[in-house]
Amino acid sequence: MKDILTPRERFGMLVIDEKPDRCPVIPLITSHAASVAGIKLKRYYTSGERMAKAQIIAYEIYQHDAISIFSEVGIIAEAMGSEFYYPDNDLPVLKNPALKNNLNDRIIIPNPKKDGRLPVYLDAIKYAYKAIGDIVPILAYVPAPFTTGMHILPPEKFLIGTLRNPQEIRMMLDFVLDATIKFCYEIINAGALPVIVDPLASGSVISPAVYKEIALIYEQRLIDYLHRYDFDVILHICGDTTTIIDNLLYTSADLISLDRVNMVKAMEKLSNKMRLIGNFDTGSFLFSSPEEVYRTTATMVEQLKFARKGYIASTGCEVPIKAKRENVGAFIKAAKEKGWYWV
Amino acid sequence: MELIGFSCSYIPVELLSATGLRPYRLLHGDLNLSQKGERIVRVDACPLVKSNLGFVIENQKKFACIIGSTGCDMSRRMIEAIRFMTGIPVYIFNNPRTDNFEIFSNEIDMLIKELEQFFHRRFDKGLIQQECERQEKIKQRLREFDARRRANPSVLSTTVFQKIMADYLQGNFSDIKTEVPEEMSYKPRVYLLGSPVSYESGPIIELIEKRLRICGDFNCGLSRAIYIKVVEKTIEGLKQAYFKQVPCIFKRPNKGFYEWVDKDLKETKSTGIIAFILDYCDNFDFEIAKMEKRFSLPILKLKSDFSLQNISQLKVRIDAFIEVLASYRGGVV
Amino acid sequence: MKKTRKIIPKKIDLNTWSRQFEEIPIEVIKKYKYYNNEEWGVYLSPPATFMVYGARELKRLKFDNSFEALRMWGFVFNETERLFRARQINKKVIATMGDLGTVPVLVLSFPDCVPFYPECLWWTPFFKESTELLDTASKLGLPEATCFSRVVVSAFYKKSYFPKPDLIIASTGASCDDYSCVMQNVEDMGYDVMWIEIPYRRSLEFLLNKPKPQDLGKTGQGLVYLKTLEDYLVREYQRIWQALFKLTGVNNPHRLVETIRKVNRLRKLVAEIKRMNADALIAPLPALEMMTIEFGNLYGYADFDEWLEIVEMIHSLVKKRVEKGIGVLKKDAVPIAWVTPSADPYLLNLVEDLGCRVVETEYVINQGMVQIEENIEPIHALARSFINASLIGSTEERVSSIKEKIAKKIIKGVLITNMLGASHCAMETRMIEKLLDGVPTLSIDVPAPFGITQQIKTRIEAFVETIK
Repeated sequence: MKDILTPRERFGMLVIDEKPDRCPVIPLITSHAASVAGIKLKRYYTSGERMAKAQIIAYEIYQHDAISIFSEVGIIAEAMGSEFYYPDNDLPVLKNPALKNNLNDRIIIPNPKKDGRLPVYLDAIKYAYKAIGDIVPILAYVPAPFTTGMHILPPEKFLIGTLRNPQEIRMMLDFVLDATIKFCYEIINAGALPVIVDPLASGSVISPAVYKEIALIYEQRLIDYLHRYDFDVILHICGDTTTIIDNLLYTSADLISLDRVNMVKAMEKLSNKMRLIGNFDTGSFLFSSPEEVYRTTATMVEQLKFARKGYIASTGCEVPIKAKRENVGAFIKAAKEKGWYWV
Repeated sequence: MELIGFSCSYIPVELLSATGLRPYRLLHGDLNLSQKGERIVRVDACPLVKSNLGFVIENQKKFACIIGSTGCDMSRRMIEAIRFMTGIPVYIFNNPRTDNFEIFSNEIDMLIKELEQFFHRRFDKGLIQQECERQEKIKQRLREFDARRRANPSVLSTTVFQKIMADYLQGNFSDIKTEVPEEMSYKPRVYLLGSPVSYESGPIIELIEKRLRICGDFNCGLSRAIYIKVVEKTIEGLKQAYFKQVPCIFKRPNKGFYEWVDKDLKETKSTGIIAFILDYCDNFDFEIAKMEKRFSLPILKLKSDFSLQNISQLKVRIDAFIEVLASYRGGVV
Repeated sequence: MKKTRKIIPKKIDLNTWSRQFEEIPIEVIKKYKYYNNEEWGVYLSPPATFMVYGARELKRLKFDNSFEALRMWGFVFNETERLFRARQINKKVIATMGDLGTVPVLVLSFPDCVPFYPECLWWTPFFKESTELLDTASKLGLPEATCFSRVVVSAFYKKSYFPKPDLIIASTGASCDDYSCVMQNVEDMGYDVMWIEIPYRRSLEFLLNKPKPQDLGKTGQGLVYLKTLEDYLVREYQRIWQALFKLTGVNNPHRLVETIRKVNRLRKLVAEIKRMNADALIAPLPALEMMTIEFGNLYGYADFDEWLEIVEMIHSLVKKRVEKGIGVLKKDAVPIAWVTPSADPYLLNLVEDLGCRVVETEYVINQGMVQIEENIEPIHALARSFINASLIGSTEERVSSIKEKIAKKIIKGVLITNMLGASHCAMETRMIEKLLDGVPTLSIDVPAPFGITQQIKTRIEAFVETIK
């Protein structure tokens, strides 16, 4: 069936608890867009215009339902002083955290218009918004304070700190929260909807207790800030969120994007209050055939599309950079064909 | 001043001729007149309205008064423009778009009072009956001509019929032909509908009929007026006849128009439709997509501002349309 | 709660508004809700929120920097959501089309009925800087050289701008052809439409003879009309009342009396705001906000009570600014009248940026601006108020108030905005120019989104120079 609504109109209906023509289909096409557009990865994440152009090309090819401005989760940490290494054909890698040894070292609250690669994001948003922002939502993925925190301190120190000196970790995260809010402010004024990503807060990395006592608090505070603007806030946590699923409701996110979790259970627990997003296994894009991808996606969408508050067909995590295009295409095709609400 | 002008089929000609003046339907469509009309309205006004304005401005001394109608917005405002530019006494008849006989009936009564007072004439039963009978005689003759046009094979062209109708609509009742020679045609039969066909549209009709035969129509300027048959020759009879006439497309809802045309297409055994639509004629322009779906016949859309400059382009389009008709019928042209 | 700083009135852009918004406490944000709903009814958001959700023109527009204006914009931009929420909480959503100001008064007299005007979506392509709705209209077969209100057909097709109405009341007759055709197209899509006749208001020069005084009535605004017009309207409004009774099962004429009082309160406030705005030495409010306030009279943007509160707040603000002699434009801004609203809000900003100030308007909604009589039978009162409608009579009557102000030397120029091919624009504009002989007039065809060119800017500049 042919689309009646634009992606904007579709998303707009979803977030006011209405059923659009079909469920939105928003696979996490982030750096994969560089591959699709034939742009070197390093150029993708260091040039806002190139990032936007890659996303637009990917949209033109795939016809999915949003543009995703994102490269990697260290972007705020980098602007706050952490050093990253830029491989030519891969995403930036943490080289030297800003607080190498000691929480008492100085970190700066960055200026999103000048520091690190934050301006790259903002340029990408402005470019994409001007080009197609009337018909496609522009989503900007922002690392949550907890995930950023693990890029400001050496990861092991950070994780130990959450157990041994949580108070100091919180003091550091208070700064990170300020920096994140400042960044979100500029993202909003550039034209994108901030999407909070907190992959390092999943059960794959931390215990439910640490999540509840630390990560969740900062997610809540960030979401509270975004709620001032009456935004419909998407929280994405990839990895295994089974052990924290009950706590997700307390984040007050409006849409929850999940990865390795039983989605039927998630539906039972969360879908009265939150719209569900997810959760196709992205490994299949590399190793399965288009027919297999189509079948799996179709089953997933048919199962989840009637989630009470609404559903967005998506991937559990980012589409791999080298994902086969025909597989991504098969995912989108299946989600569109099976996700219809209007007769 | 010998003329009483009027702008719409819903205004009873019988009442106008009862004044003793010649009823003159404003149906001019000419580029030169149009340009004169642009003194008071914009270039994107309806070409018919502009031409009529131009004509009335040039011939204002001939008109005792002009009766307009609210049928279409531009046509109603044309009357205001006439008054503004010429000072000719005007009256605007409130012709309801909706199925509201009460308003229509009341408006006819008001129109009668206005005409009686203005022309110092009483529209008594006798006068009304006399005018109805006179008009019915003329219309009957015109229907006979139309029947010949609609016959299969058609024996009268619309080119000739249009000239006959022009005499009628301009109130030249005594000049209306009593006889016309037969013009039998086996050309593909097409139905004309759309915006009014002006007095000056002869060349366009003639061009169409070089290769087609227009055997039926829904256009002001052609046969619409003659099918308003006043059975009961009284004011009430007039009201009923005019209210229930072939429904104009501006009526809301306009399903009556579609039902009528559906029926007429079958009766005339038309094989195609020519939609003659004036520039900025919203009432038809908004409907063309629906017509293409509703009438299961090929439609040729002809847009016009009454200019004859694109006549060769028109010829090419008509030729192409004939090909379409041939393939549609599976026959040979 | 933080003490708010004194704010000097001015027009500010979106970024400046975002900075100001950061200082508003959360308790204040949560205070204002439509339909009194805590969960989703909060609407106090800065322009940036709506810009993120696709209203791209907000990046270019300038707004009044008051809290009151912020509240107004948050409320107005929220309308689509509000209509869907209305349906979700079992209110009846009634599309009132074509009459611009009177039928909603009937609708509001029934419990839990929310009237709205689909034609107000004509601003949407411009706020979004998007031709999507216009392109959809073209794909649906609608002609392009017509009024931008053709987007209504697209909106009904897409079903994402408002819920399927419980009742569609389409008023046609002595009205614009374009919109009459739009309404017919909506019916052709399968929607049930209740057709209402808008009769023609004949002024005396469109009669052949002088009428008897007993056959004439006079509206509060001084428009003379034949009394039969009132009877026509009364019967139509009685039909609407019956339809609403059938829909709701409630028949309480006293509610109409109460609604008229409430509507009059709003209209009085707006009339005062307009008068204060026009008479003040320095314009206290920008033209864009003023236009939005005027159009709120038609139906209260789907929550009449909340809108009334907002206008009360704005009224206080304007009064204070006038008392203090402060405002948003320069003292030497040239006073002009504006005839026919602009579909592109940016044009209002532009005209002010180039040195004008709008002191009189004729926005085709005169019927929504007048007081409804409270001392006569209410349906008759409604009929008499509608008789003042802008488009049902002559062009001369339409511009009479502007003519008066020209004569008093209050207005130095007149700006007429049109749309190419729109029926009343094509017919009225030249006549208005002739009728307003005595002041310079400038007629602008509002182009499709993104279409305001340097040429248009230059023409406005030249116009301003002429009238200075």
